[in-house]
Amino acid sequence: MIEFRGIDLSYNGRKLFRDFDLSLGRSEKVAVLGKSGTGKSTLFNLLLGFVRPDGGEVRFGGDTVDDKTVWDIRRSIAYVDQDVSIGEGRGSDLIRSALELKVNASRKLPGEKMDGLLDYFELSPAKLEDDITDLSGGERQRLAIILAVLLGREIFLLDEVTSALDKDLKKKTAQFFAGKDSWTVMVISHDPVWVDNPGVSVFDLEREEWIQ
Amino acid sequence: MDTVDLSITALLIAFALFIIPVAISWFYRIGLTRSLLYATARMTVQLIMIGIFLKYLFRWDNALLNILWLTVMVLVAVVSAVRQSSMKLSRMLHPAFISFSLATFLIILFFNIFVIRLDNVFNARYLIVLGGMLLGNSLRGNIIGISSFYSNIKRDRKTYRYRLALGATFSESIRPYLRDSVQLALKPTIAAMATMGIVALPGMMTGVILGGASPEVAIKYQIMIMIAIVVSTILSVVLTILLTLKSCFSRYGTLRDDIFAEK
Repeated sequence: MIEFRGIDLSYNGRKLFRDFDLSLGRSEKVAVLGKSGTGKSTLFNLLLGFVRPDGGEVRFGGDTVDDKTVWDIRRSIAYVDQDVSIGEGRGSDLIRSALELKVNASRKLPGEKMDGLLDYFELSPAKLEDDITDLSGGERQRLAIILAVLLGREIFLLDEVTSALDKDLKKKTAQFFAGKDSWTVMVISHDPVWVDNPGVSVFDLEREEWIQ
Repeated sequence: MDTVDLSITALLIAFALFIIPVAISWFYRIGLTRSLLYATARMTVQLIMIGIFLKYLFRWDNALLNILWLTVMVLVAVVSAVRQSSMKLSRMLHPAFISFSLATFLIILFFNIFVIRLDNVFNARYLIVLGGMLLGNSLRGNIIGISSFYSNIKRDRKTYRYRLALGATFSESIRPYLRDSVQLALKPTIAAMATMGIVALPGMMTGVILGGASPEVAIKYQIMIMIAIVVSTILSVVLTILLTLKSCFSRYGTLRDDIFAEK
């Protein structure tokens, strides 16, 4: 499903990857570990076409990521970034504008599904009417997770999305994603809730090997 | 009524007023004298030269020459707009030149043909004077519009990429930034329009009245020129942004790093 083949990449004169390989099958759940600066987020940026490798190739669903395929690839991935830079304005407007994009036009307006998600992630519906920049880090993370799920996609790239959540919510979030059989989930996180989850494989980026 | 001509002596008397800023600058040590004198000298020389130049341009009134001169004015406006917008000249020059030319020529010709109904639509008096007003007044809007579009996307890099990652098409992902920057570019012009005639007598009107025309004619020209300024500003901002997209973004939809001028 997702494959990094012989990736070489330098950033600001530092070698981040040298002949790096990693692959994920459909419906696998993988947690990527590694100190900061080891290029964890870069893996997602490579897959989404925001960063191009100096050598090697990134493949998604059988296609090489290039300037033609990347647009469709982005449309099949739900991505939540580390700083939850999801913009300004009210949360409800953000959700509406995301669902108004052409690619999502076929999706129904969130009704029951949205209520269920707000309930599960313990986010009060009133918070959707607040400005995103006024929300706490944890609230913003949950909003971004809910929006990602609402897109109805099956492949998730989650970059440190549980860092600001409390213990219970971390656990619920990990269980939520690990429990969906058909979903392919790649998560960057230090949280033990992911690593300790039996359904999740763990890849150590520094040693470049699977440790679970 | 003819305009009272100013003799050279009269102008020198006007310069005598500079005693005031020079004295203030000296007394409070504002350090303005040098730059004030430099700017005044430049203004004087430039205006004298353009005066002589326009005199002959009007006398010959050759269509081709008029078009050529307006093109030179557009080029100077483009270079100055790009310089002040902190964007790299090499990336912006071509597309901005095309869009400024289109916006300026189209609007002036529209007015000369359909509104003023000139026999010679390339008449120097109208083509060059109107062109100068349009360029001078849409320049600021263009600088604001172009630089805010690109610097906002640069500043919001993560949010912008998030929108791409949501599956937005390229035009969907730039749309909010286009909207904001055009709004920002038009704001000063719209504000000026709303207070026009009350807060200040606009330059065009002052000129036409001093030139001997009645206030009725002057306001008609002022209304026309304001319409022209708004339309050409919005046209040139949007066109410049649209025409520069190709050279400023990668085919992956991400903003290139090398489009901003080095400080």
